Amino acid sequence: METLFRYTLAILISTVAGMQFVQVITRYVFETPIMGLEEVAVIPTLWLYILGAVNASREDTQIRANVLEIFLKTERARHILLVVSESISLVISGWLTYWAWDYFQYAVRVSKETPTLYLPTLIYESALFIGLLLMTLYVLLHLSRHVRVLLAGGAEVDKLIDHEHPHTDELDEFQLLSPKEDRNNG
Amino acid sequence: MVEIALLAFAVLVILLSLGVPLPYCFGAGLMVMALVGEVTFKGMMLWGFSQLTNPILLAIPLFVFAGTIMSVSGIAASLLKFVNIFVGRVRGGLGVVASISCAIIGAISGSGLTGIAAIGPLLIPEMERKGYPRAYATALIANSSILGLLIPPSVTMIVYGWVTETSILASFLATLGPGLLIMLNFAIVNLVMARKFPLVLDEEVSFSETIKLAGNNTIHAIPALLMPVIILGGIYGGIMTPTEAAAVAVIYALPVGFMIYRGLTWKKFLEAGKESATAVGAILIMILFSLMLSQLFVMEDIPQALVESIFEITQDKTVLLIMVTLFLFAIGMVVNDITAIILTAPLLMPLMSALGVSPIQFAAIMGVTTAMGGVTPPYASILYLGARIGKVKFTEVIKPAMILLLFGYLPVVVLVLVWPGLSEYIPAMMGY
Repeated sequence: METLFRYTLAILISTVAGMQFVQVITRYVFETPIMGLEEVAVIPTLWLYILGAVNASREDTQIRANVLEIFLKTERARHILLVVSESISLVISGWLTYWAWDYFQYAVRVSKETPTLYLPTLIYESALFIGLLLMTLYVLLHLSRHVRVLLAGGAEVDKLIDHEHPHTDELDEFQLLSPKEDRNNG
Repeated sequence: MVEIALLAFAVLVILLSLGVPLPYCFGAGLMVMALVGEVTFKGMMLWGFSQLTNPILLAIPLFVFAGTIMSVSGIAASLLKFVNIFVGRVRGGLGVVASISCAIIGAISGSGLTGIAAIGPLLIPEMERKGYPRAYATALIANSSILGLLIPPSVTMIVYGWVTETSILASFLATLGPGLLIMLNFAIVNLVMARKFPLVLDEEVSFSETIKLAGNNTIHAIPALLMPVIILGGIYGGIMTPTEAAAVAVIYALPVGFMIYRGLTWKKFLEAGKESATAVGAILIMILFSLMLSQLFVMEDIPQALVESIFEITQDKTVLLIMVTLFLFAIGMVVNDITAIILTAPLLMPLMSALGVSPIQFAAIMGVTTAMGGVTPPYASILYLGARIGKVKFTEVIKPAMILLLFGYLPVVVLVLVWPGLSEYIPAMMGY
């Protein structure tokens, strides 16, 4: 799944950048913008946003305010908090998915086309429902993982949280931004 | 309806404190409005999703992608050597190098994280070797890292400009003046603090050697330094839109990363694409639901009602500006800068207009107050990362970080509030 997302998202973002670049070159250098390119570009752009959000749910890196975690002592308390927050997320995500389904049905019924190239807009309008459905499933997956950890108990949940060096999302980003050889020097 | 809106906002804040992901916090606000307030939700998904097709939003993933590619390419070492030519031999100069390099890398990456992530691993050990305490070096680089949020191009300002319908080009420039002043302040505070440290200075080299070294280092740094020139020159020269400039930046970054600095590999490219897309997806899904909530609030005239309620308490501009700043600062302490802007800008904008604060000055107020949250406890995410990179305890970093904030950052926050020219002069010079 990691490889699938890595390739899909890298290809999508490169395609979007490439299309914009082509538009710049044709517009300013050749002074003849490609007709309909903007209509086509909307497709990878919206899928990029939505699949990016799905991957954030898969990796559990959606933006959160982890402020309460600072006051918790053990991993058990952290997992209990996560069970509460994931349960709430599940209900809300389900409700939003219901409304995205409503929008999807409307898009199917109306079956609109783009003005220049007559592409069915459902190609990108379907992204929201599919994306939210996948996000809801990932919330369910994370919820069940935390419940399982709590039920299993043992040393894992009794471990104390390291407040001197808490694990934040920024740390994961750092793994990418910082060259390995430099990290070893520090 | 104001009560329902307040309830929606209260639910949002409670869920946010419980650690519920932000898109769902906004979703909960929508649920309250729809289920309790009985506001119709029909058509909202269609409206919200169509807003995401706005081309200006596309500048966000492209800037993030270009910045990530440049950062993983290994530009940090070249930039450090380049800045070191000018200030490296002064007593305390290495601390100044840290501050300036973070500002430059901010102009390349547009992120508040790249400074500490890319420069920290190289400069912290070097500063320690030269006699700076490790915790101090870490605090200085982590604090300087947030300059990336203030020096354009800044993703935060794209979001601000978009949600408040302010010119994005003007918003970029609004935080430039305060950002440069903070950089200068950090450099000055560092020079003062460095007098206490047992520093080891570089050996003097001859003038001709210095010139030779300067030439070599400058040539090596030029490809990285050209990136902000292309982006900002293209935008403010009226040649490209921010989105087009961001796409050009991505295309420019590829040969620079693969062939000039050679830090970029195929694997890193894929990883950079995935990471950028994921970061952007997380931001945009949050924007989608926050936009819907703002739209429901606007439909019910909530921001205007809020202004009237606040004006019933006081109409004193200074008092209100201080209250808003403290509120933004508190929000910035618990959520990141983009979230803080999405959460508060649409609600506070009418209040600012009523007070006569221009959207450009407000951009700077929002920018500097929310950016500070990344290095302010209790949830100082950039400082946490700094502590890990610097291999020091978080509690050891707090003291020097707070000294730098108090003398280097806070005076600029006050200046931004009381002196509109600080944020408005540069945009006005460029015709905004």
